[in-house]
Amino acid sequence: MTTLQPPIFPRMPRGRRDQRRYTERPKSDGLLGRAVVQSFVKLDPRLTVRNPVMFVVWCGTLVTLAATVEPRLFELSPEAPGRGFNALLSLILLATLLFANFAEALAEGRGKAQADALRRTQASTQARRLLPDGSESLVDSSALRRGDQVRVSQGEMVPADGEVVDGVAAVDESAITGESAPVLKEAGSDVASSVTGGTRVVSDELLIRITADPGKGFIDRMIALVEGAERTKTPNEIALTVLLAVLTQVFLIAVATLPPVAAYIGSPTPVVVLVALLVALIPTTIGGLLSAIGIAGMDRVAQFNVIATSGRAVEACGDITTLVLDKTGTITLGNRLAEEFLPVGGHSERELATTAHAASWFDNTPEGKSIVRLAEKLDAVTTLPMDTATGLEFSARTRMSGTDLADGNELRKGAVEAIKGFVRSRGGTVPADLDGAYERVSRLGGTPLAVCLNAEIHGVIYLKDIIKPGMRERFDQLRRMGIRSVMLTGDNAITAGVIAREAGVDDFIAEATPEDKIAVIQAEQRLGRLVAMTGDGTNDAPALAQANVGVAMNSGTQAAKEAANMVDLDSDPTKLIDIVTIGKQLLITRGALTTFSIANDVAKYFAILPALFGKAGLAPLNLMGLASPQSAILSAMVFNALIIPALVPLALKGVAFRPATADQLLRRNLLVYGLGGLVVPFIGIKLIDLAVSALRLV
Amino acid sequence: MASSSGLLSKPLFWLPLVLALGTALAAPLFGSSPSPLQTTALALLLTGTVVLSGYLFVVIFQPERF
Repeated sequence: MTTLQPPIFPRMPRGRRDQRRYTERPKSDGLLGRAVVQSFVKLDPRLTVRNPVMFVVWCGTLVTLAATVEPRLFELSPEAPGRGFNALLSLILLATLLFANFAEALAEGRGKAQADALRRTQASTQARRLLPDGSESLVDSSALRRGDQVRVSQGEMVPADGEVVDGVAAVDESAITGESAPVLKEAGSDVASSVTGGTRVVSDELLIRITADPGKGFIDRMIALVEGAERTKTPNEIALTVLLAVLTQVFLIAVATLPPVAAYIGSPTPVVVLVALLVALIPTTIGGLLSAIGIAGMDRVAQFNVIATSGRAVEACGDITTLVLDKTGTITLGNRLAEEFLPVGGHSERELATTAHAASWFDNTPEGKSIVRLAEKLDAVTTLPMDTATGLEFSARTRMSGTDLADGNELRKGAVEAIKGFVRSRGGTVPADLDGAYERVSRLGGTPLAVCLNAEIHGVIYLKDIIKPGMRERFDQLRRMGIRSVMLTGDNAITAGVIAREAGVDDFIAEATPEDKIAVIQAEQRLGRLVAMTGDGTNDAPALAQANVGVAMNSGTQAAKEAANMVDLDSDPTKLIDIVTIGKQLLITRGALTTFSIANDVAKYFAILPALFGKAGLAPLNLMGLASPQSAILSAMVFNALIIPALVPLALKGVAFRPATADQLLRRNLLVYGLGGLVVPFIGIKLIDLAVSALRLV
Repeated sequence: MASSSGLLSKPLFWLPLVLALGTALAAPLFGSSPSPLQTTALALLLTGTVVLSGYLFVVIFQPERF
């Protein structure tokens, strides 16, 4: 929504992000203990079957356990490994499964703890429901249905999500946002009429129309999401699952067809060793961490006080190539303030200030109030009979607001072109020096508002726009990540150009209407780009739905929140940039760990293949000088198991992210995680082999 | 499309049947084994590997179900 007097974001947090108080972080007491218990619960094959790589490990464990019970169950050769070796191998494979389950359980546990924190805000409460005859009846909040009207007074809890239909009150939303400052809620406002169940009215009284049935409210949806109840695989996860399943299938067929070949070359291979070879070959590291990475991505977004409707939305953030941003509230501070009066047409500054004062009499926006204050500062208070006057609200269509006096006089202020049209429609003329004043304000990056009394233009008000600190650096970062930024504003082209240059955005659309937002998104999508945008008003809803990532402000309307695929509890439009960064980090983490997982298989080949086929001439491949074939196999398996918990912190926290292009990130990934994945296992397996030999385990 | 719970519950019924049938069919391949237990175990291992491979094909072609 880009209008001349754009929406204010009343919940916009102030101060440095790291110093803001966010939603109470869920307590992590007992998280590790619960994750350990869940690791065993997840050994249930009905759960393991969802992860193809780990299910193959599960089946392999079953085979080695059977061979532990009866070592000669599968073996014809007298040289088959004994019960001790089989037992050790079984334990290591079991540990591999438990470590993978632990990673997933830990990630899920963090989400569940967050859901519990949210659930505590859902205490059942009594509500005063309005009956058709105007009387009130006291009902439990769970009995309320969509469309019911309830009255909520000072000190009472809002019983369910709804829209304010009457009244003005301060509401404490700290239960869901963590921000302690109450928020003003009022009927009819596009950005402040939505209330959330579980918040508390701290002053006055509201009449609320319920918009959600029990169990379908905003907090219910948040709980379901952070608990993972509605978690479905993202397109990227599906693609990776197919890749991992194909690799597993190829290695399963290769290993299953190995015994005849091995027998032919005179190196018969015991079944348990074949199992070890299969587990070493398949990508167990990424297979074990894949779901943990996805859950952790959702969790990181939630920790940022943003609720995503699906993992798909978080992942889409990582692929975003275009950001469509409103100027006001996102790039500039929400409140533009009147800085100067520029009279035209022979009028004095005082005369203009007095007219502007009267034209802003009914304007309660921060801009309107700042005009009144500036006029009062110049001692230019109107003497017109305002008690009988009526106010004219601003609209995106007329692009002006004003005051109609009882005697028929009309005072207007608004976009210069709109005021010119108004004056001409009443037979007036446009002063020659108006365009000069307009250009002067525009070139300063300010917003010019023309002021007229009936058919006579008195001058221009200079509304000063202040660019938020650090915006240029943020847009530079986005550019380095290959993301294009487009600023939308209702301002004229000169003002928009100045702000765009100062802020460092790549492109801008001036004098934009709400429809332009959808047009810009569609145009970018036609070029194959993925678009993210923020919005809060009802007229933003179609654009939020059209965008690949739509982030609605929590202070916004229900329609905006339902159309978007993310809701920012802090209602901070700038956070879109952070969300994109989290999405990128999620994809990079998954890519980095996949690279590492596939690369670290190489060292395992060098450990197991010489152990299997040493007699057939592959002994020189024992580059690590491992002590014996059995210790080589055990060392590779131990490394394979230990690398999963070693990488859990990285999977949950995400790899360090530096703004860079996709090519640069790929090169860095290959260097750090590809090369690291090649080198680290050689060192790790050798060290484990030394320990296995020293402990005389085999 | 069957729900994932349907997919998971059905194998509990037919998986033992498939394994038993496969084991019976594959047992003659391992007739030279020193004991009937080993013959059965190797036949079951072969059948299990084929079933596991079939499961991986299902994952490859219907990944969203897992």
